[in-house]
Amino acid sequence: MALRSLRAKGLLLALAFVALMAFVVWPKATPRKYPDRIPVRYWHMWTAEWADVIQRICDAFNESQSTYEVIPLIIPGSVGDTKPLLGVAGGDPPDVMTHWASVIPSWAAADWLVPLDAFMSKEELADFERETYPVARQIGMYRGRLFAIGVGLNAFGLYYLPDQLAEVGVTPKTFPRTLEELADLGTKLNQWDKRGNLTRLGFQPSWFSSLCESYGGGLYDWSTGRLTLNTPENLRALEFITAERKKVGFETVNRFNAGLDTGSFAGGWPFIGGALSITYDGQWRVEQIGKYAPTLNYRTIPLPPPKGGVPLAGTTNGNFMIIPRGAKQPQGAWEFIKFWSGLSDPARAAKFYTWGGWLPINDRIAQSPDYRAYLRRYPQFQTFVDVLRSPHYTTLPPVAYQQFLSDRATRAEDLSVRGTLAPREALRRFEQEVAHEIRRRKELGYVE
Amino acid sequence: MKRRRVGWLFVAPWLVGFVVFTLYPFLTSVYLSFTRYDVVSPAKWVGLANYRALFTDDDLFGKSLLVTFKYACIAVPVGIVAGVALALLLNVDIKGQSVFRTLFFLPSIVPGVATATVFVWILNPEIGLVNGLLKNAGVIGPNWLGDSFWAFYSLIFMGLWGVGGSMVIYLAGLKDVPVQLYEAALLDGAGPWERTRRVTLPLLTPVIFFNLVMGVIGAFQYFDGAFIMTRGGPEDSTLFYALYMFYRAWRYMDMGYASAMAWILFALVVGLTGLVFATQRRWVHYGA
Repeated sequence: MALRSLRAKGLLLALAFVALMAFVVWPKATPRKYPDRIPVRYWHMWTAEWADVIQRICDAFNESQSTYEVIPLIIPGSVGDTKPLLGVAGGDPPDVMTHWASVIPSWAAADWLVPLDAFMSKEELADFERETYPVARQIGMYRGRLFAIGVGLNAFGLYYLPDQLAEVGVTPKTFPRTLEELADLGTKLNQWDKRGNLTRLGFQPSWFSSLCESYGGGLYDWSTGRLTLNTPENLRALEFITAERKKVGFETVNRFNAGLDTGSFAGGWPFIGGALSITYDGQWRVEQIGKYAPTLNYRTIPLPPPKGGVPLAGTTNGNFMIIPRGAKQPQGAWEFIKFWSGLSDPARAAKFYTWGGWLPINDRIAQSPDYRAYLRRYPQFQTFVDVLRSPHYTTLPPVAYQQFLSDRATRAEDLSVRGTLAPREALRRFEQEVAHEIRRRKELGYVE
Repeated sequence: MKRRRVGWLFVAPWLVGFVVFTLYPFLTSVYLSFTRYDVVSPAKWVGLANYRALFTDDDLFGKSLLVTFKYACIAVPVGIVAGVALALLLNVDIKGQSVFRTLFFLPSIVPGVATATVFVWILNPEIGLVNGLLKNAGVIGPNWLGDSFWAFYSLIFMGLWGVGGSMVIYLAGLKDVPVQLYEAALLDGAGPWERTRRVTLPLLTPVIFFNLVMGVIGAFQYFDGAFIMTRGGPEDSTLFYALYMFYRAWRYMDMGYASAMAWILFALVVGLTGLVFATQRRWVHYGA
């Protein structure tokens, strides 16, 4: 009797456990606001305050028409590559996604993306090609087809603190006109403590791939479609970075950076605290300064070119809208992309760009009343719009092994600035490593 | 018969899981290693091209193999010495012995990712705990994770943090050493060092052997510390084989190539484990 009672108790306990697990694990669909409409599943990786902006844009789209309902889903950045790919492989990808620019060539080469120009009429495509800033167009293209449209492009420029520059007699009007002058000014602004530790960094160049463009070089010849990794211009760029690092000392700069509060995304930026006098950074800092240090006296300016170099040159990246192969609602996805990017109505879309503090992709957005109001609010943002508009502003080579190439470029710079290899040798080795990778890919039958 | 059926029924969930999630991917990866495969598109047969490319066109393959070998050669013996030493110390009958054992064992149950994240801060050259302590002693500590020499040894140093796991196994081994052997050694006039050398260590060799095998296998699969703390840098000094394989698979989307790498790793680990087994007759003592 006792055994039977014990068994019954055990069974009840097991049932209760199963019921609890079923309650916890059972998928619960979020109620849809427009259940009668065609669902368009949208994945992105923005979090915190950015996620609210995305939700507002999705809400605006859903309110603007009565056919589709865009349903956003945040996926962690750590699975930003794998999750959508497994979705494509499993036949259940999102209909539309915002992804980083670096995936475009490799995913397009592997036929994982739907070409967006297929949704455009000839006129629309011509308008897009004419109006879109060169770099915004270039990043989305692979082998002559358009696979992605930018909604959150980045541009980089100099931030500087006029009060610190005044200490060495430089005003915004007398700000250096060349990279060499800028480097000299940076040296004057460096500050050290009694024990010889660097306490303030004037200016320190880096970003090899980008600086190659300022020297008139670059990693890719867009007219011939060939890689140009080891050229005299690129060598000059690497030599300059290396020489400047050598002046202060590689280890000194490393230690200085390690002691900074670089973990803070916004308010703790060392520039705000005065640890960096002049620094090269992205446009998003303008809004952050407005939010976390609104009284900070600072200016922005494009990076001056080296003597005889190219002004407003560099490389960039950003967030792009893509439609994965196998998307169930590609038309709905395309409508959403047009709505957000401003292809259908630039004036309306301009406010989305201002909500996120994003750079416009064409002058129609930049000149819209909403965007002009934003620039009046954040005048330092204009520098980045100017940079992005430049025909000399470009992106990394549009090759399927771009990630590998970018990794090895970073390593070449690292080897050179550490003094492990001379710049010429670092560049030669970089070229050799990429050549090996190309040969390997050819042997395996990959598309370039 | 019924009992047998019930038995099969009980092991069925594990069996199904093993076949679906281990055996099938394991066998599939053999096939994939002879293909070009990017997860999404169907795999294309390329014969031995992946293996050929690894040995002829891939500088990083050799480099990552070398880093991993070096790690196995240093981290495994260091781990064994530290584990045995700690076990010997914690085997001494002192007050609060179990508290000390728990304290030394605790770090080994902290997930590797959490440990690595904490160590990034501990090893920070300017505001880290290690350099802070060194500074108090008048020594300027190195840039642990930013220096191509020290980054590798920092990961070995961090590995000691989890030595409590093997320490518990050594402690269990120490409990198995018959007391009469110590008594006999004492009667023969053996001191503490002689007793350790002539009695404890020889009888601990089966446990050391076990930890050596597991250590070698673990060393060749080393991943999370390098992935979180150094990403393979600086200057590829911590580009471990498993990390490079991961990059090939998920960063460069080359699953076929990564599968070939995985099979080379498997062959290496099997070969080295076999080698360790072959030597055991010479130095492992089973039974008193």
